[in-house]
Amino acid sequence: MATTLWDTTGTDIVNALLAERRTAGALASGLALSLVVVVDEKQVQEAETAATVAAAAHPCRLLIVVRRSVDADNRLDAEVQVGGRLGPTEAVVMRMYGRLGLHAESVVLPLLAPDAPVVTWWHGAPPDEIATDALGVLANRRITDCARAADPRAALRRRAEDFAPGDTDLAWTRTTPWRALLASALDAVEAKPAGATIGAEAGNPSASLLCGWLDSRLGVRAEVDETAGPGITSAAIEATRAEGSPYAVSISRPDGRLATLRRGDEAERQLPLPRRELGDLLAEELRRMDPDAVYAEALAAATGVTGIGDRPAARTHKWRDPAWAGASS
Amino acid sequence: MTAGSNPLRDPRDRRLPRVPDPCALVVFGVTGDLARKKLIPAVYDLGNRGLLPPGFVLLGFARRDWGVGEFESLARDAAQQHSRTEFREDVWRRIADSLCFLPGSFDDDEAFDALAAKLIELEDTHGIKGNAAFYLSIPPPAFPTVLEQMARTKMADNAERGGWRRVVVEKPFGHDLESAKQLNDLVDDVFTAKDVFRIDHYLGKETVQNLLALRFANTLFEPIWNSHFVDSVQITMAEDVGIGGRAGFYDNAGAARDVLQNHLLQLLALTAMEEPVSFDAESIRIEKLKALNAISLPDDKQTYAIRGQYDQGWLAGQRVPAYRDEKDVPKDSRTETYAAVRLGVETRRWAGVPFYLRTGKRLPRRVTEIAVVFKRAPHLPFDATDTVELGHNQLVVRVQPDEGVTLRFGSKVPGSAMEVRDVSMDFLYGESFTESSPEAYERLILDVLLGDQTLFPRNEEVDASWRVIDPLEEFWAGSEPHRYRAGEWGPAEADDMLARDGRVWRRP
Repeated sequence: MATTLWDTTGTDIVNALLAERRTAGALASGLALSLVVVVDEKQVQEAETAATVAAAAHPCRLLIVVRRSVDADNRLDAEVQVGGRLGPTEAVVMRMYGRLGLHAESVVLPLLAPDAPVVTWWHGAPPDEIATDALGVLANRRITDCARAADPRAALRRRAEDFAPGDTDLAWTRTTPWRALLASALDAVEAKPAGATIGAEAGNPSASLLCGWLDSRLGVRAEVDETAGPGITSAAIEATRAEGSPYAVSISRPDGRLATLRRGDEAERQLPLPRRELGDLLAEELRRMDPDAVYAEALAAATGVTGIGDRPAARTHKWRDPAWAGASS
Repeated sequence: MTAGSNPLRDPRDRRLPRVPDPCALVVFGVTGDLARKKLIPAVYDLGNRGLLPPGFVLLGFARRDWGVGEFESLARDAAQQHSRTEFREDVWRRIADSLCFLPGSFDDDEAFDALAAKLIELEDTHGIKGNAAFYLSIPPPAFPTVLEQMARTKMADNAERGGWRRVVVEKPFGHDLESAKQLNDLVDDVFTAKDVFRIDHYLGKETVQNLLALRFANTLFEPIWNSHFVDSVQITMAEDVGIGGRAGFYDNAGAARDVLQNHLLQLLALTAMEEPVSFDAESIRIEKLKALNAISLPDDKQTYAIRGQYDQGWLAGQRVPAYRDEKDVPKDSRTETYAAVRLGVETRRWAGVPFYLRTGKRLPRRVTEIAVVFKRAPHLPFDATDTVELGHNQLVVRVQPDEGVTLRFGSKVPGSAMEVRDVSMDFLYGESFTESSPEAYERLILDVLLGDQTLFPRNEEVDASWRVIDPLEEFWAGSEPHRYRAGEWGPAEADDMLARDGRVWRRP
């Protein structure tokens, strides 16, 4: 079922959502969180697909905010869906024209599921400063994706400078399978790590975070070798066993799908290690609602920005008017 | 090696899964129903979720003249048909690479010598480091033979190859206290007690574990979780199916031994137990055992211990035969397919609160639930006519299907008159979490490979359960079970049992 509202108001959207819920018979459904997606018109389709995959694991309230040109006349168009093409969720897709886009929270706030955590996800280049987007300020968890920035490494640094507990980045999510393999390799033996090497595409932010993680956990400097990609292509740790003999772990994944794992003197092993879809990454992020302290440490180590885990979790909204930028230039 | 010494592990880093050590999972009776429908799919699901160690071998053992090729095609079909997660070719190929099959019967010394040799060989080829879990998916009479073979070949000896050796035993754990003790002694003799995992797959279900979270993580429920507020507890496990091809086993066991002794008493123990001092395996087992030991049987067993057997009838639009007409069941069988009993838990918390347990086959639908029925409010400031439709408040934990929790309470009916009627507040597992619940076997197999015994009953619990069941079986021995029509909620005598106490069974 879907209702499309043209040139509407926030109150009408709230009423339409209520009516949709009633006809769908979903009044008592549990809502564990609201997911706010900030996306450009061009990527709406992609974001919808990913959010649907993530929400299929669990029905949440999906609020997709598309900000159109600030210079247009103020207008709000909305599409309300309950259990429709966006899967078993309640979804509202909102297109905000003109200066309304700067006050998107005025439409989103009444639509948030009561007392449930709010996750805001920017599908596109991460904002320069999250505090300037009210949709980020009201969220408990904020998901950015540095890999989508023009200069991913610079974006990662910006994330570190702007960090508050509760922030995460999909570049970090992409490292999870690698981290799991490396960690379980060190479960099996007692060995002291001496060095680590990562092979990755030039400028890959996940590789920086993986290095940062190894730096912070092992206390060794991890090196990055540039390769042709895709993404991270290899990770290796050299260690010394308690009795002095060397123990080496290496994982290589040249094709982005199948990995070869070598651990110590064990036989070489092949295992699938595919690059994950956006929806799967998002689903992993939605699993936890508490700040990811390990990410904070890895981010700090990767960028050299210190003390970021101790910052207050809450942000205060900073008003930045695009008109000012226009006036000064 | 402990995770504590691994610098890459951090308890705060909950994204990283715990992956077992490299090991072999040896399944005896791998061509059976359980292996095909549950074990192999569970192994596939674990593989698909990245929870199998890099060195993992699934070794099948069965009396078939097979090579690994036939085994692989059986395993592949099983995984494709019954796995919970999506079937992916590259994940399967990796599991298929580590499949082994050894043919042999359980009294065949040579076959077991070959198995022992194979496990040693796998240390080199797959790096399993002497770690192996043995899953006995075989009929109980074969247990002693297999265990003796393992003792003979030293397969069960942890020290022998420097890794761990664990054994997984399926219910039934014996058929009475005596035989259970013998079996326990035998298993604990061959393996050490901490390496024995008795599977009660109900305990692997999310909701059952959630019962502990519900009770001990909230302030809301524990204060009223006692005889001051609870009127009675009903624990139901109903199945719509008949006995399938299990006549040989079932006709000797019956509903009480098959379900009451293990699943229902475990659910009772989790409902009635005191708060464990911590959430580790040992503390939880101590509390469960205390609850099981506190169970009392009714004095008037004639009224409060009812057993039944189904006649022919209609179920879900199909005609189904009577139990006695099922294949391989004797025409004069007195085995019960339904059992209902009123138990007490003699503790300060529960004194005087009846626990009604029932289980049966060919009941209208498949459902397992725990219903805690609360007392009515001591005083109602409404007219008697206002509250005729108000029942007891209830907290229902639905174990299967649609796992979740329902709270029933009275609410005002809209309108000018004051009228109070029961309403339900529902929590559905599937609706509130980003993680889909793993299958019980998936979780339990992973726990076996990790060596976590929290969800496995220990032998004292099995003994305590038999101490409850044995007197019932003794009382029932030789008597004729009550009759009920297939497709109804058990014999009329079971309804009378509650009616005598002024209560009714909940329709689940």
